[in-house]
Amino acid sequence: MTHTIRLNVNGKEHTVEVPSRRLLIDCLRYDLGLTGTKEGCSVGVCGACTVLMDGKPISSCLALALFADGKEIVTVEGLAREDRLDRVQQAFIDYGGFQCGICTPGMVVTAKALLDENPDPTVDEIKEWMMGNLCRCTGYYKIIESIQGATALEPGGE
Amino acid sequence: MSYGKIGQPLGRIEGPAKVTGEAKYTADVLLPGMIWGKVLRSPLPHAKIVSIDTQEAEQMPGILAVLTAKDLPDLLTGRLVYDMPVLAIDRVRFIGEKVAVVAAEDPDMAEDALASIDVEYEEMPAVFDAHEAMKSEAPLLHPDYRSYAHAPQKFFSDIPNVHSHVTWKLGDIDKGFALAKRVFEHTFNTPAVHQGYIEPHASVVAIDPDGRVNVWISNKMPVRARELLADVIEIPEERIVVHLAQIGADFGGKGSLMDAPLCYHLAKRTGRPVKMVMTYTEELMAGNPRHPTSIFLRTGVTEEGQIVARQAKVVFNSGAYAAFKPVPFVNIPGAKDAAGVYGTPHIRIDAYSVYANCVPSGHFRAPGDLQVNFAVESSMDMIAEDLGLDRLEFRKQNLLKDGDWVPGGPQLEEVRVAETLAAAVKASSWNQPKSQPNRGLGLAVSHRLIGTGEANTQLTLEEDGTIQVLTPVPEVGTGAHTILQQIVAETLFLSLDQVRVETASEIFKTDSGSGASRVTYVGGQVVQQAAGELMKLILAAGAKGLGCAENEVVFEGGRVVHSESDGSLSLAEVAKMGGDGKSALRVKKSLNLSEGPPMTTFTAQVVELEVDPETGQIRLLDVVTAHDVGTIINPLGHQGQIEGGLLQGVGFGLIEELRMEDGQVSTLNLGDYKLPNIRDIPPLTTVLVEEELGPAPFHGKAIGESSITPTGAAIANAVYDAVGVRFHDLPITAEKVYWALQQHSGGEG
Repeated sequence: MTHTIRLNVNGKEHTVEVPSRRLLIDCLRYDLGLTGTKEGCSVGVCGACTVLMDGKPISSCLALALFADGKEIVTVEGLAREDRLDRVQQAFIDYGGFQCGICTPGMVVTAKALLDENPDPTVDEIKEWMMGNLCRCTGYYKIIESIQGATALEPGGE
Repeated sequence: MSYGKIGQPLGRIEGPAKVTGEAKYTADVLLPGMIWGKVLRSPLPHAKIVSIDTQEAEQMPGILAVLTAKDLPDLLTGRLVYDMPVLAIDRVRFIGEKVAVVAAEDPDMAEDALASIDVEYEEMPAVFDAHEAMKSEAPLLHPDYRSYAHAPQKFFSDIPNVHSHVTWKLGDIDKGFALAKRVFEHTFNTPAVHQGYIEPHASVVAIDPDGRVNVWISNKMPVRARELLADVIEIPEERIVVHLAQIGADFGGKGSLMDAPLCYHLAKRTGRPVKMVMTYTEELMAGNPRHPTSIFLRTGVTEEGQIVARQAKVVFNSGAYAAFKPVPFVNIPGAKDAAGVYGTPHIRIDAYSVYANCVPSGHFRAPGDLQVNFAVESSMDMIAEDLGLDRLEFRKQNLLKDGDWVPGGPQLEEVRVAETLAAAVKASSWNQPKSQPNRGLGLAVSHRLIGTGEANTQLTLEEDGTIQVLTPVPEVGTGAHTILQQIVAETLFLSLDQVRVETASEIFKTDSGSGASRVTYVGGQVVQQAAGELMKLILAAGAKGLGCAENEVVFEGGRVVHSESDGSLSLAEVAKMGGDGKSALRVKKSLNLSEGPPMTTFTAQVVELEVDPETGQIRLLDVVTAHDVGTIINPLGHQGQIEGGLLQGVGFGLIEELRMEDGQVSTLNLGDYKLPNIRDIPPLTTVLVEEELGPAPFHGKAIGESSITPTGAAIANAVYDAVGVRFHDLPITAEKVYWALQQHSGGEG
C-alpha cells in the first residue's frame, strides 16, 4: 500500500508517494536524493542517521516516512545558509571534530539541536546530549572541543 | 627548524564537503536504473550444499536475477591467497558465508526473495577453536590449500588447518634459556573485535555499453582492488575503472573486494547498475574482524633480572578463509613484537594462522600488536612481582637500546624508549603514594615500525598556476590528503590554496594504498620528490621564457625571477610555456620502499583506574599517553590519530568482544556489540617527546597505529594493582571483575 505524504525538508515542501514500510532515511536518501544523512547500524544506536523533526533529533533509520507527514525535517544539507556554514559545521572543521566524516552529518545535526536548546553547555551536558552518536575515529575529544568552540562563534544562518 | 605549512594545525581540505553532507561515500552513489543486490548467507558453520532451489524467488515481483555459484566462473579470491569463493561452491565453512545473491528493484524486495530460496545442506563436523583445529582429529577446512593461487609455500605447515606458520628468530633460543636463572610461562587470550567503522561495506558496479566496468567500492586500496577484481571476474584491468569515493573509515578492515564481484555478475546478468550495501548485522557476522588470538610466552630471566630469552607461540584464529590477510606470508605481522620493547638476545617466535569454522578474520589497526602487547606487558608485571622487583625498574633495566635488533625489523638507531617511558611516568601519578583502596595504576609500553610499500603520485602545474596533486590513495579519514597538500605546498613555497589534491586510480599501475602507518612516510616522500622535480621543470621553463640560463633564475614569492634583470614570470605564465609550448608541466613518480628505516616509534601509557568492588565496574580516572615523535606535520590530525586510537584501545581492554558460540556470532548489532561512546572517554594527557629525526618528509614519524596498542595491557595491569586480580583474557568487563572478586574473596574467606 502506498501513501502520499507532505513534508518540509530544509525549508522546502515535498510531496512524496511512499509504501507503508518506507523508512524516513530511505525517503530522504532515495526519494529526495539527500544522501548527506548516513545509515550505519540501522537500529537506532549509532546516530549517523540523525535528522531534526520539528527541531528534535530523531533516528531516521527507525522512523517510518509516514511519521514525517506534515512535519518539518532538517538534515545536514539544511544547516548551511547560502555559502555560510553553520557555526557547528565550521567548528567541526576548525577543531578536528571528524576524520572519516561518516558520523559527521548526524553529529552536527545533533550538536546544532543542543546549542539551540542550551547555548552554553557544560562538558557533561555535551556528553549527555551526544551519547547517542557514535564516532569510531576521533575518540570524541575533538567533538567536545568542536561543540565548545562553536559556542564562541556567531550563530549562523536563520 | 621552522616551516611555513608543516606544523600547522590545519582543518581538513575535504572538511566543507564532510560537514555539509556533500561528501559522497559508496552507498551515496545513485545511478539511473540502479538496482539492489542482497545475499543469502549460510546458517551452518560447516556443511555440504546438497541443492539450492531458487525457482520461487525468481518468480517473485521485482526480482531481476538470482545467482548461485553455478552461475559464476569457478574462481576463488582473496587479498593475497585466493582461497574464498564469491558464492559458496558445494560447501559452506562459516555461519554467514554467502550462498546465493538476488537482484531486485529495491532492497526490501531483494530481502523478501532471499526467504524463498531453499537450500538443502548436509552438516559436516565443525571446529571453532584454533587449538582444536590444530589437532590431528580435527576436520580439515581446506584439504586443497596448497594448490590455491598465491598460497605461501615457504610458510606451509604439516599441522592440520595451519595455513601459515611464520618464525622469527634472534640469537639461539636454547642458549638463551640455558643462561636463565628463572623461566616463566604465561598464556593469554584475546577475542575477535570488529573495526567498528560506521560505514558498512558498500559496492556499486555499472557496466558501460562498450564493456567498461565502473566500480565504486569502500576499499582503501583501489589500484590493488582493480587487480584483484580483474582476476575474479576475468576482465582485463584496463577495462575496469575504480572510482574513488570517500571511505567511512577503514582501520584496516576495508581492503577486500567484499561484494564487488557479485555486483558485477548481477550487473552483467541484468544490464543494470547494481548496488550492494551490507547491513551492520552482516558486518558483525561476516566482516573481517581482528583475529581471536592466544599468546603463549616463555621468558628466561637472569638472577639480576635481565631478560635473556623469549619464546612465543602466537595462534591466530583465521576463521574459515585466509582471504582477508594482505601480507605475503598470510599471517599477522604483529606477532613479531612478542619480545616487546625489551632488548632480548635470544628470541624465537612462532606464529600460526589457523583455519576454523568462524567468521574470516582480517586486519584491524595494528594487527597482532595489541594482542601480543597485552600478553608481553601483563607478563612483565607478573615476572617483576615474582622476582620481587619494581615493575617500572624491571622494565627500565631491559629496555631496547641503540644497536639492538628487533625480530623482523632492522638494527635500531635513535632508540628513545627510555625518554618516552620517563615522560609518561612523569605526567602521571605513578610516583605518588597510593591514594585509596580499589584504585590502581598500570603501565605498558609498545613500539611500531614504520610501514613500507609503494606509493605513486602525479603532479601537474595547471594553466591557472595551481598545482594538481593526483594520488591513488583515497581519504580513509586519517587526513592523508591534507598532509600531502602541506608537503607539496612546503616544498614548492606555495600557499595551500595553490595546491589541490585529487584522487585517481586509473593512471597508476600498482600502489600499496593506505595502511601499515605508511602514508606519510612513503606517500609523503613520493610527493615531496615529485614536487622537487616539478620545481626543476618550472625553473627550466621559466628561464627559457625569460631568455636566460637556468642557473640565473630563482623561485621567489610564487614567481620565477631572473636575478639580474627585473624579469619574472608567474606560475600561470610558466605553465603556458612549459613542456612542448602549450601542455602543462607534469611529473609522474613512483616510489617503492621495501625496507623500512632503522627506526621505530615508541608509545608508553599509564592508566589510573578505580574498581567498584560491589559491581566490578571499572572507571578510568586518568590516562597518560606518551609518544616518541618527529616533526609533526599537522598537529590537529596527529592528535586526532592519538585520541581515536586510544579509545579503540580502551574498547579492546574493557568493552569490545565479538562473542561467538559454536561459530555463531551473538553480538549481531551495535546495541549488543558495544563501541565506546562519548561517556566512556577517560581524562587524557598526551605527552609528545619530540625530536626532529624521523624518516618521513621534514623528519616526521608515523602515528596512526601507536596509541591503540598498549592500552589493553595498561588497563589489565592497573586492575591487578587495584584489586589483586590478574586477567589473562580481554576485555575486562564489569561482569568478569565481579565474578573474579567473588572468587577471590571466597578463596580468602
